Amino acid sequence: MYKTTGFISFFLRRVSGMALVLYLLTHMLVIGSAQGGAESFDKMMGYVQSPVFKMLEVALLAAVIYHGIDGIRLLIIQAFKLTDKRKILFYTGLAISTILVLAGGIPMLVFALGEF
Amino acid sequence: MATNNTKEATIRVQRYNPDVDKKPYFEEFKLDVGADTTILDALEEVKGEQDGTVTFRRSCRHAICGSCAMNVNGSNMLVCNRRVEEVLDGKGTVTIKPLPYLPIIKDLVIDRTSFWEQYLRIKPWLVPPDDIPEKEFRMSAEEVKALHDAEQCIMCGACYSACTVVGMGKTYIGPHALLKATLRVMDPRDSATDERLLEISGSDGAYRCHTIFNCIDACPKNLNPTEAIETLRMLAIKRSSFVEARKERQKTLNDPIKH
Repeated sequence: MYKTTGFISFFLRRVSGMALVLYLLTHMLVIGSAQGGAESFDKMMGYVQSPVFKMLEVALLAAVIYHGIDGIRLLIIQAFKLTDKRKILFYTGLAISTILVLAGGIPMLVFALGEF
Repeated sequence: MATNNTKEATIRVQRYNPDVDKKPYFEEFKLDVGADTTILDALEEVKGEQDGTVTFRRSCRHAICGSCAMNVNGSNMLVCNRRVEEVLDGKGTVTIKPLPYLPIIKDLVIDRTSFWEQYLRIKPWLVPPDDIPEKEFRMSAEEVKALHDAEQCIMCGACYSACTVVGMGKTYIGPHALLKATLRVMDPRDSATDERLLEISGSDGAYRCHTIFNCIDACPKNLNPTEAIETLRMLAIKRSSFVEARKERQKTLNDPIKH
């Protein structure tokens, strides 16, 4: 395996992309449960209000942020021919993603833990 | 024994003979290396003086034939122009493996069949226009400059075997072929532009590149296949107008250049 910053960014992009697809499917399943009536929907909502799902929401936030920022990084590199800045832009994107995930994830966790 | 001018190095070589071995393994060779000893020199010494069965490709020793591309400490490079001292780790060891993602014929020799097959997809030769001048085609300095990067490629395979997309499937055309496709597509003398752009527009062409940049990291000539791929993608989008512009340009290929 050929490991570079490019490979790490690609790996994270793939994993976060897969996570987003899984989220979309789960989201459709949850919303689709409304077709079975209010009771069915409430039951499904009961599952997604569990602590495990609250944790997964933070992971979802991380996936959305990283995937989006890495995509913007690639667009910038391609549009402005910045391939020689690819590594510094990767680390910058990673730093911005981390800050945003912490800024969004910590309040989400505090809110979730306060509920239980 | 190491002297004032030399130091002992451990050359860790991946060995594999598909006729005998079930899987690749590493063998270590200790030898004294000087400040100028290249990795290829070290391999030659191992083969000549310690184990004649160690198998690797090499030819020109001047970083122009591309035969000796190998994976050293996890990075693809030509071993003829890199000194052992540059790549030794803290323990004085250098690990040499064959180029990744390609079938191993023996030890450090890989099977390049898919590399050449993909290269042939872009028809890597000039298809001249019908109207060939008596003396020479007249290209502007800018037009020649646009071909510079692709012309420098020595087809060593370092980019191809560093590409993660190639690792996921050998149907991808590969950065080497796309860089060489740029050489032809950007050449005003070429008349097969439409055909080439159609070929690289397919599902296993330029759009399958995931912009991982491994090709740039691996290239021993510091070329930029990713940028070439981006150029091809843009040209493929406006293929019809580009081909028309090429036909117009070819009408003036015999004219003197205006400076």
